[in-house]
This record gives sequence, structure tokens and C-alpha cells, in this order.
Amino acid sequence: MKYMVVALLILFSASSFATQENYQFDTPEQQALFKELTATLRCPMCQNQNIADSDAMIAHDMRRKVYQLINQGQDHDQVVAFMKSRYGDFVYYQPPVTRTTIWLWLLPISVVLLGIVLILRRKPNKLTAQDEQAALARAQALLDEDK
Amino acid sequence: MQNKLKFAIPLVFFLGLCVFLFQGLFSDPQARDAMTLDRPMPEFTLPDLMQPEVMYTQDVFDGKVTLLNVWGVWCVTCQVELPYLTALSEQGVHIVGLYYDQDLDPDFGIKTLARVQQEVIDITDRLGNPFAYNIFDVYRDTSLDLGVTGAPESLLIDQNGIIRVHHIGDVNHRVWQNKFADVYLELTGQTINGVAE
Repeated sequence: MKYMVVALLILFSASSFATQENYQFDTPEQQALFKELTATLRCPMCQNQNIADSDAMIAHDMRRKVYQLINQGQDHDQVVAFMKSRYGDFVYYQPPVTRTTIWLWLLPISVVLLGIVLILRRKPNKLTAQDEQAALARAQALLDEDK
Repeated sequence: MQNKLKFAIPLVFFLGLCVFLFQGLFSDPQARDAMTLDRPMPEFTLPDLMQPEVMYTQDVFDGKVTLLNVWGVWCVTCQVELPYLTALSEQGVHIVGLYYDQDLDPDFGIKTLARVQQEVIDITDRLGNPFAYNIFDVYRDTSLDLGVTGAPESLLIDQNGIIRVHHIGDVNHRVWQNKFADVYLELTGQTINGVAE
């Protein structure tokens, strides 16, 4: 039983180490920048994975390139521009605002606005008030009959 | 009339949604516009795969229409397209390989160059050798500069070193006719179809 547990632990530790590489940085800022960039750059071969998570070869190569660029002293925007010029807007998780993508922001806002307009324009329902009166009258009549 | 219109709104909305989602069934999520199109080849200095002392630069493409094929022996689809590429080269297409290896990790290399060369010789002996020569992308960063996401990919480079076609996936008769043949005709004045007559 004990060996089983150990074996299982080893099994799972191997998979979590699969995409770990040893990249050494001079400063903690560079390390943080590397973490941020690999989390926000998308692996162009995978459907929806950032390059920090992916084990695809292209993700390995992109991590190595990000590391090199950071060590050359490039900042966040320069690295993103480098990747975009090769792999297009797809490679970065924050889409640029263009004529097609503007709807990502406009559509939710317009739905909320439409909802507000519909609520404000709704007329108070007179029918229910009348129905209530009629029902009360009928009930009263029934009560009167019982007397 | 007013009421009928109100009922039509959800129906129209629903039908619109159906059309939109139906189109989605046929779209390829992997398809993306290549960023390399109509741009010059990125700068590089890389060795020949078979004779590492020979170095190539981006100028090697000047003056000749070249089909640059990104490949590796580890890639199964590349083996599928080798016979067709060989047929193309026999009809006169100048094909150059951009070779990159998966197991030859530049940082933690476990494979020797001699072994890679032997594997390439074995496979081209068996399936055909369309390549005038192979450029060895040692660190895979020229592939990265080209926006290559995997193998195989093929690029048609014109006489001035400008990338005119960038195709992801294997080259077969259909792909050649649809994507390459017209541009190749425009550049060279030759009609090539890769099918033995």
C-alpha cells in the first residue's frame, strides 16, 4: 500500500514537471515579466493554451525566445510585438480593437441597455388590479350567500 | 400587425443564430492568415544539413523561384508528401528543405548530427529526394521567424526572396493546384502539376 502511494506520487509529479525548464534571470522583475508573458501568449498550434502550459514544441521554442528577448533587455510590449509580427494577433490573449472585434465590447453593453429600456418602457398592468377587485367582489358575494 | 412582428423577432434571431453556428461547422479553427505573406525572407545564417561547413543566408533564394519545405524525419505527414514533392522537382520545381529536428534540443541535445543525417538519407532513399539541399535550422529560430507552427509547411519564394505562398500542412496535388500553381505560373511562366504524364 505504502509503495502504491509512493508510485502514484511519482507518477503525478512527473507530469507536473513536464513543462518546467530552468530559466535563470538576473532580476526578479525579469522573472515576473517572463511569467506574465508566457501566461498571456497563446500557443499558435494549440486550441486554447498559453505557452506556459503547453508542452508542444512550438511552445518550448517560444518560451526560449521570450527568455532570450527578455535577457536582451526587451520590455513587455516589444516581446508581444515580436510574436505578433510572426504569428499574428492570435498569439496574444488580449485582442486588438478592430472593426470586427469591437462587437466583443459593444454587444454586451447594448444588451444591457436594451434590457434597461424595455424595463422602463413597460406599462404598469391595470388588468391585474381590476381582476383583483372582481375576485374580491365575487368572494364577498359567495360569503354573503352563505349567511 | 404589431403583435405578429413581435413574434417574428425571436424567430428571426433564432434563424440568424442557426446560420452563424452552421457556418462554424465548416470553418477550420487552425486556419489563420500567415504573417509572412509578401514579406522578404527573414535574415538567417544556417549550415547545410549534410555539409555543416557550408553556410547559407537569405540571399541564397535570390534569382530563383524556390519552394521551401519545412520538414523533419520525425514528422509523418512530411513522409506522405515526399513522393509528390519529388514528382514536382522532377518537373523542374526548385525545392529546398528547411530541416529541423525535434529530438535535437539545442539546450539538452541527445541526438548526434551524424544520426540525423543518416535518418534523412534513409528516408529520402526510400520515399524520394526532392531537395536540392537542406538548410539545417539548428535552433529552430528561423522557423519561428517564419511563423511556422509545426511541420510540414511550405513556402513559395520568388526571385527577389519575397514569400508569395505560405501553406500549412502537406502539399498534394489538390493543394498545389489550388494554392501554388497560379502563383508559380505567374512567376515562372511554367505550368507544373506534379502528375507524371
